[in-house]
Amino acid sequence: MAESTAIQLKRRRGLVAVALRRLRGDVPFYLLLLSVSFLLLFPFYWGFITSLKFEKEIFDFTGNLLWVKNPSLANYQTLFKTPRFFIWLRNTMLVSTVTTVLSVVVSIMAGYSIARLKFRGVTAASVIVFVTYLAPKGLLFVPLAQILNDWDLLGGLPALMITYPTFLIPFCTWLLSGYFSNVPVEPEECAMIDGASRIGAIIRVTLPMAWPGILTAAIFSFTLSWNELLYSLAFVRGEENRLLTNGVMSAFARSDIYFWGPLMAASTLASVPVALLYFLFMDRFVGGITAGATKG
Amino acid sequence: MTVAPVAPHDKAPAVYARARNSGMRWGTLFHRDESLGYILLAPGFIVLALLMAYPFVYAVFLSFTSKRIGGPATFVGLENYTKLASTDLFWKTIWNSIYYTLVALVFKFVGGLGVAVMLNRPFVGQRLAKALLLLPWIIPTVFSTLIWWWLFDPAFSVINEVLVVKWKLLSKPIPFLTDGKTAMSSLIMVNVWRGVPFFGISFLAAMQAVPDELLEAARVDGATPWRTFWSITFPLIVPVVGVVALISTIGTLGDFDLPFLLTRGGPNDATTMFAVTAYTLSLSSGLIGLGAAVSMTMFPLLAILVVVSLLQVRQRQGVS
Repeated sequence: MAESTAIQLKRRRGLVAVALRRLRGDVPFYLLLLSVSFLLLFPFYWGFITSLKFEKEIFDFTGNLLWVKNPSLANYQTLFKTPRFFIWLRNTMLVSTVTTVLSVVVSIMAGYSIARLKFRGVTAASVIVFVTYLAPKGLLFVPLAQILNDWDLLGGLPALMITYPTFLIPFCTWLLSGYFSNVPVEPEECAMIDGASRIGAIIRVTLPMAWPGILTAAIFSFTLSWNELLYSLAFVRGEENRLLTNGVMSAFARSDIYFWGPLMAASTLASVPVALLYFLFMDRFVGGITAGATKG
Repeated sequence: MTVAPVAPHDKAPAVYARARNSGMRWGTLFHRDESLGYILLAPGFIVLALLMAYPFVYAVFLSFTSKRIGGPATFVGLENYTKLASTDLFWKTIWNSIYYTLVALVFKFVGGLGVAVMLNRPFVGQRLAKALLLLPWIIPTVFSTLIWWWLFDPAFSVINEVLVVKWKLLSKPIPFLTDGKTAMSSLIMVNVWRGVPFFGISFLAAMQAVPDELLEAARVDGATPWRTFWSITFPLIVPVVGVVALISTIGTLGDFDLPFLLTRGGPNDATTMFAVTAYTLSLSSGLIGLGAAVSMTMFPLLAILVVVSLLQVRQRQGVS
């Protein structure tokens, strides 16, 4: 009895030693990981703690730089009290939602068509989608502004609602066609044998199976719209029509005076929903990107 | 690109035959691949035709005119291009864009490979590490760039504070955005910071797809990890690496957000690039024709890169 406990103890001690030794071997690795993480994440941390500081402390570098002496939410209050802040927020939500829904629906159709149907020109269609996906926004905004002007749309939010899909549709179609080609065909055929129409079978059978891909496309579209700068600067006029991005900048970065507190509060606030969405769906997200980037 | 592996009607002719017999014309239209394919493609392609193909043709046209905001579009032939070629701004734009893209690419590539190799082993907290490290790429550029703007503040940069005052590594602060040379390096740094996570995670995904047996065999044969990486892992991930690098290159070449937000192309045009120059000329100065011509000079370069990416993607898929 006593002997066996001794053996057990010895064995346990041995295990602990092995675990410790292994951990010690990992120390350089974890140090490297920590320093890389620090380099990549420090800006966010700095922005976040700046957003919690009073004006005076923001420009005061004495003491511990990585800590806040008098944390307060004053900058967030300033931000919310900005005239039109909630209008900009509403504009951003509105434009992002409309463009996301529009682009995802259109891309589901196009993506399904390219992945699943056999017709003349399908290869050409997939090439066109890929090429338009690669076209940077910087290439076409000058003529687009002119065209919007011709159509009497320049200046208001509809200008953004119809132009954002130009970069969202190619991306989502590409991503979704990759996704649809991996969804099995048989269930859809079974549904049709059971009497469903083809469209009915697609909607009731195939789409539910493809929902992770559709969700990825939607999250991506929403983020890209939320993130957009060039078109919202070029195609929209007037305080009332600003989005969060250019609205916040115009309010707190005037000529040479920058109000870093509210600016950092805005950065923190705008980043949190995106980061949360992404954490919730990370695996699909990463899978989606690489599927998009490699499988096409 | 994806091509339907098996057309459904080859597999289940009975289903289609029944549908055809069911009478309704509409039913057939929505049933057969040859018609449904075009119907489903139509909405997306109409948008692309109206808002991408048409603007492209329009841009070519505008670049041959002396169009100003609110003015008529008078045809002037190649005048915009010859005018541009005689300005410093134009050559600076081209040089800056290429320099920015290439230098940033090298750093993103090496950094991404490093991050992927670092994460490509089992360890406690791998999931969390992957999620956190991807953040710079996930967070909206506008807002992360705002933070960098603050980090680069000429008088109150915390980076300078640490390097000069706390650690005494430098004798005077770095003029991050106010000096031409350093401004370009600062922009590249932010672009690399944003891009490394994307490169890293994509490379990692490719590495994890490398069959274990191959690596095991190399290990049994006594190959060093270094040798194994360059002789087995790297060649196998080259297709993914290539596509990621090409897509990133195209995006960087047309980048607007970073240079516009941080420097507006300054100081003294030292960091101006295609999109920024086109923006200032056409929308700030109202010279639409000239701005369109700047965008168009980016096109040949882009076209080459796009064709190369296309070949790369198709070769990988074995689609003829």
